[in-house]
Amino acid sequence: MYKVVIGLEVHCEVLTNTKNFSSAKNTYTNIPNINVMPVDLGLPGILPVVNEEACRKALKTAMALNCETPDEIIFDRKNYYYPDLPKGYQITQVTKPFGRNGHVTFLVNGKEKTVDIHQLHLEEDTASLEHYSNYSLIDYNRSGIPLMEIVTEPCIYSADEAVAFLETLRNIFLYLGVSEAKSDKGQMRCDVNISLMKDTDKVLGTKVEMKNINAFNSVKEAINYEIKRQSEILDKGEKVIQETRRIDEDGKTYSMREKVDAVDYKYFVEPNLAPVKITKEYKDTVRKEIPELEYSRIKRYLELNINLEDALTLAKDKDISNYFDEVIKNTKDINLAVNYLTIVILGSLNKLNININDLFITPTMLANVINLVKENEVSNQLAKNIIYEAMEKNIDPLEIIKSKNIKQISDEGELRNIVKKIIDESPEQVKEYLNGKEMVANFLVGKVMSATNKQANPAASLKLIKEELERMR
Amino acid sequence: MIDKKMLENYAEKLMFRMKDDELDTLESEFDTILKQMKLIENIKGIEKVDPMTFPFITYEAKLRSDLESSDSLSVDEVVSNTKHVVKDQIKVPKVVE
Amino acid sequence: MEYKKSTIENLREALDNNEVTGEELFNEAKKLAEESQKDINAFVTILDKYKSRPKKKGILTDIPYSLKDNFSTTGILTTASSNILKNYVPVYDATVYKKLKDAGAVLVGKTVLDELAMGGTGTTGHTGVVLNPWDKTRLIGGSSAGSCASVAAGIVPFSIGSDTGDSVRKPASYGGVVGFKPTYGRISRYGLFAFASSLDHVALLTRSVKDAAIVTNVLKGEDPLDMTSLKDDGLDYTLNLDKSIKGKKFFYIKEACTFDKKSDILESTLNEFNKLLDKIRSLGATVDEVSIDKDLLNAIYPSYMVISCAEATSNNSNLTGIPFGNRIDGSTYEEIMFNTRTEGFSELIKRRFVIGSYVLQKENQDKLFLNACRVRRMIVDKMHELFKTYDALIMPASGGIAPKLGEASDVLSDEYLILENHMAIGNFGGFPSITLPYGFVNSMPIGVNITSNILKDSELLNIAKQIEDLLGYIGQVAGDKNV
Repeated sequence: MYKVVIGLEVHCEVLTNTKNFSSAKNTYTNIPNINVMPVDLGLPGILPVVNEEACRKALKTAMALNCETPDEIIFDRKNYYYPDLPKGYQITQVTKPFGRNGHVTFLVNGKEKTVDIHQLHLEEDTASLEHYSNYSLIDYNRSGIPLMEIVTEPCIYSADEAVAFLETLRNIFLYLGVSEAKSDKGQMRCDVNISLMKDTDKVLGTKVEMKNINAFNSVKEAINYEIKRQSEILDKGEKVIQETRRIDEDGKTYSMREKVDAVDYKYFVEPNLAPVKITKEYKDTVRKEIPELEYSRIKRYLELNINLEDALTLAKDKDISNYFDEVIKNTKDINLAVNYLTIVILGSLNKLNININDLFITPTMLANVINLVKENEVSNQLAKNIIYEAMEKNIDPLEIIKSKNIKQISDEGELRNIVKKIIDESPEQVKEYLNGKEMVANFLVGKVMSATNKQANPAASLKLIKEELERMR
Repeated sequence: MIDKKMLENYAEKLMFRMKDDELDTLESEFDTILKQMKLIENIKGIEKVDPMTFPFITYEAKLRSDLESSDSLSVDEVVSNTKHVVKDQIKVPKVVE
Repeated sequence: MEYKKSTIENLREALDNNEVTGEELFNEAKKLAEESQKDINAFVTILDKYKSRPKKKGILTDIPYSLKDNFSTTGILTTASSNILKNYVPVYDATVYKKLKDAGAVLVGKTVLDELAMGGTGTTGHTGVVLNPWDKTRLIGGSSAGSCASVAAGIVPFSIGSDTGDSVRKPASYGGVVGFKPTYGRISRYGLFAFASSLDHVALLTRSVKDAAIVTNVLKGEDPLDMTSLKDDGLDYTLNLDKSIKGKKFFYIKEACTFDKKSDILESTLNEFNKLLDKIRSLGATVDEVSIDKDLLNAIYPSYMVISCAEATSNNSNLTGIPFGNRIDGSTYEEIMFNTRTEGFSELIKRRFVIGSYVLQKENQDKLFLNACRVRRMIVDKMHELFKTYDALIMPASGGIAPKLGEASDVLSDEYLILENHMAIGNFGGFPSITLPYGFVNSMPIGVNITSNILKDSELLNIAKQIEDLLGYIGQVAGDKNV
């Protein structure tokens, strides 16, 4: 067995109207070269101008990842030649990245894990290359789209941890609204650095780099494949080669190139971008825009004695979690609230294929219904049906309850009369019960429910049925 | 020390070739500039100086507001300075990593 | 009115009095430009047709001008005098070109420069050497060679160039015209093909200080497309020109003007300079000799080389022949880049790029590139300190007159002089700096350079105008002998 050490470099497209350094639209399109300004084509004489929103979002993300943030905005050039890089350099951040020395905590299979963030910086995407049998075509629409790169420390020790980290990161992006982070559109992609070492080793093993993996599932496959491959090499007493590998559709990784010598990117400060101060006031404003994030919400839910699975479900989506928080502001019954939200509401959202914010039932409406259930005013079963009806008809559930004159029969005298009547009508079941088949009581509750149009309180009904039947022994 | 082999390699990394006699001139230029730069190391107090990138900084520069925009060159303009165009895109020999 | 000798002011008057039309001026300029080509070779492109569509009529409406061929002009060939861009036709306008178009100024032609503006001789453009209209066996200097020659020859009353080390102010001295580089950021660089972005300035050549003020008025101001551009100072530079400079304090650098051995030309140049200083003193100003650490002064030129080559290597990495430029085919993209760049750049450019890339290499960056940037700060800090006491630095723009063809080269050597390279100080700190003619040596014009603190453009033009009035070289063109 070897110790696996993984570091991730995650690239994520930032959600803005325009590109990072030009006013061309930042959007995804299949029509080539329609969102291209001279800057994006690297024409002679162009000058970049920094997008405020991209900076704000990068700064916000850095703060959400608990990073140290800089006092001013500065960019650097990374120089290299490639056909998708029209300027011959990429504008990125080395001197003063938006974030340094951060960390993020999350759960991996129920256990807490913290990943240290080395750095978060803002840079620009390259043009895209489309490959044909004997040539490639360059489309500059993507050239200059703002990208955030997040580099972790080598502190991830399994594929599960890597995937959980990526999911956490994506969740943070979505919570912050800084990116759509769709990996199928390449909006979020990552490079994986992985090495294996013996437990007794003091230094990290030889690093293998896997570039540009989009789907999280592929990350998992690639890591597990590499662990197996590298273990086999080490088992044989051989050395792992330092190289870049790519993952293929079969889930295996293949060598792309051996690392001859490290490329020198000759970084230097971008002289065309005059430094801009980041004031304390600005930082405060941005910080205030950060909502409570997933992991804090999960912990809060667990403290409310919500089970882990439900806590995860609720906290996964900011809007759902916000909705839930509104519901529990208006009702004391957390269990019912969780139950109604995870089953009734989330079920309906899936069916209707809508966002929770577009739902007709407001958190207050839902809380009102839950409170009626809790106070035995309406039966659970009936309440759910009413909510479905309310969603269908866009009517406040309380209105439905009022108009149908629904009120749970909990009054003992009234209920006992109904129970007695049902028992009288069911001699067969009575006999079975008295013979020891006590389950029959539940069947009789069902009959009471139908007789009362579901308005009977089921628990109270069961109690009375048992009382009456016992009396017959 | 700089030799011609190194210079040739540097030129290659910059994506051009240099002729032998051109490398000779370059070698002697390197000799000059490195000597001059060596003298700079002796300037009093230089190690304490913060390297200067901008002629001066006013902190007046403003970031660009991210307003909705449909700014773009036309496709024809994008490809107007090359003959190698296929399907409104710029063609290069197949790029293999 | 004699067109060749006319300043913008003169032409404006003639136009306003209907003595001449814009089209007539253009045709005259075009004729002069074409006739001059075989002698001085100032133009890459001469325009065919008069075109003036001002957004609002103004002082530059219908005034002919030339533009260095490293400013982006939509639909007009722009080569930067390099083979690699010999077919490049831009699809966007540089901000200065757009401002001049909007002002109704009439472009006569695009002028030759040292290839990619990297050079000081005017000999390395892909269309050949530019010669000095005062003496066609001599150079005009560079890199704004054609721009300077076209103004010195009287083809146009003003030209737009660029100045990274002294690329406008040195040729101005050799051509007997005014060369002005305002404060860094005063004029937008958007559309100026970058040589060394932190040193590049848009600069101009005219035949009078007032014309320099007039043109700068039109060009200056903040540009949302250039983050390093400055907020407009709201001043009309023509209004401050006539103030007396009594009580102003000047200094010159002792170490730059002190020599063990002097050539005749250097001796004469320094004599003329001293005579000038006396005249300035006679206006009630003071001129002090100031001493600066010679090691630091000696470091100006190598530091300039290191910084400018480093930035240039990166800035010109876009020239690969892929989205634009003179692509030379190959079977892989690497081969295309190799072939394009190998054939597209001259030897000098390649040498500069290798130097620039070497000083940026990880293992060399601190000792070379960053040390050069440290020297830059030391020099600039020293200047800021001196500008607390002094209004301006005054220096000979050069230790001599325009060199003969074949005399000067751009090969780096140990034998540089502080005096020949001090004007890079203006680029290091972004200081406004102006060269104007102050006399003749061996029947060739010589120029004096004056540099002020940043943002003091208006004050500098005032000083320059007062000195110009003292000397009387307004409207000077080649052939005027005023020895």
